[in-house]
Amino acid sequence: MKKRKVFRIIAIIGIAGLLVGGGIGLYMFNKPHRDVQSAQADYVLTSSQIVAEYLTDYQAANQKYLAADGNSKILEISGEVSEISENFNGQKVVLLYGVKDRAGVSAIFTAETNDNLNGIKVGRKITVKGVIRSGASYDEDLEMYENVILEKSDIVKEENN
Amino acid sequence: MKKILSSLFLAVALLTFSEAVQAQDRYVSSKTHIKFFSTTPVEDIEANNYASVSTIVPSTGDVVFSVPIQSFEFEKAMMQEHFNNEHFLESSVYPKSKFKATILNLDEIDFTKNGEYQAEIQGQMTIKDKTNTLKEWGTITVEDQSLTVSAVFDLVLADYGITFADSEMVATKIGKSVEITITAVYNSK
Repeated sequence: MKKRKVFRIIAIIGIAGLLVGGGIGLYMFNKPHRDVQSAQADYVLTSSQIVAEYLTDYQAANQKYLAADGNSKILEISGEVSEISENFNGQKVVLLYGVKDRAGVSAIFTAETNDNLNGIKVGRKITVKGVIRSGASYDEDLEMYENVILEKSDIVKEENN
Repeated sequence: MKKILSSLFLAVALLTFSEAVQAQDRYVSSKTHIKFFSTTPVEDIEANNYASVSTIVPSTGDVVFSVPIQSFEFEKAMMQEHFNNEHFLESSVYPKSKFKATILNLDEIDFTKNGEYQAEIQGQMTIKDKTNTLKEWGTITVEDQSLTVSAVFDLVLADYGITFADSEMVATKIGKSVEITITAVYNSK
């Protein structure tokens, strides 16, 4: 009788453990992507500043901004709009480029934030927030400078001019 | 009247001539789509990258693709984190992959004439710190001042030191060989 009770308790604990473990596993497996826009920016800087940082020391900048699991730093970057285009995913891409710079910041928007660019024209100074995916560097095979890439971007400030 | 007609003819002729396709020194594309697709009996896994940059030089047949690894977007956040981490693509240490290649049958492609051409491309694919030779066929479509390149090929991940040995869970989910689909639209620069 006593043995049976012990067995029953062990069985209940075992099943409960499985359910909790399985639940956590399932949650981990299906956990949503990080919400970049509702998170606080890790760094606030200008497009010229981050480009200069990358062109000065690419490795150091990567260490500072890129995370091992791909959830890299969230940046708020201000600069002058030099081009607005659209990628194959229907997302707007804003290029912030300082007049004296050799590379810029390419900010990719999302289906949800695309419309916030309505009315923004080339030459306008804006601030965008997004997650950095890769930095600026000169690529000798492409024979050109590559831009800093920001994704999941939205506009957080626009200067009246 | 005759004068007007002849000047009109001249104008049309000039316009036609100026619209004729001219070969450019170099084509640059930042409008790209690279799809990573893996199928196993359990599940299909797909990731998409829209942030790569590519160049083509018609005179030499040089083709270069630079691919930011962290821009691969998976449906599941966990998959994306595993893909980036130190056991797999190690994207914080190797943020970009590169394909540097040459068109082998360059004489069969007329960059000045609209049309669809089959191109045999051979070059070096670098993922993480491993480089392998890759030879594949792709399609180059010439349309006025722009080019479109498309290609589908398989990559064996183990060739780049990505073996899944360290993570059983993902190992069972991503096939040993993955299908890569590339589309890029180039404008002359």
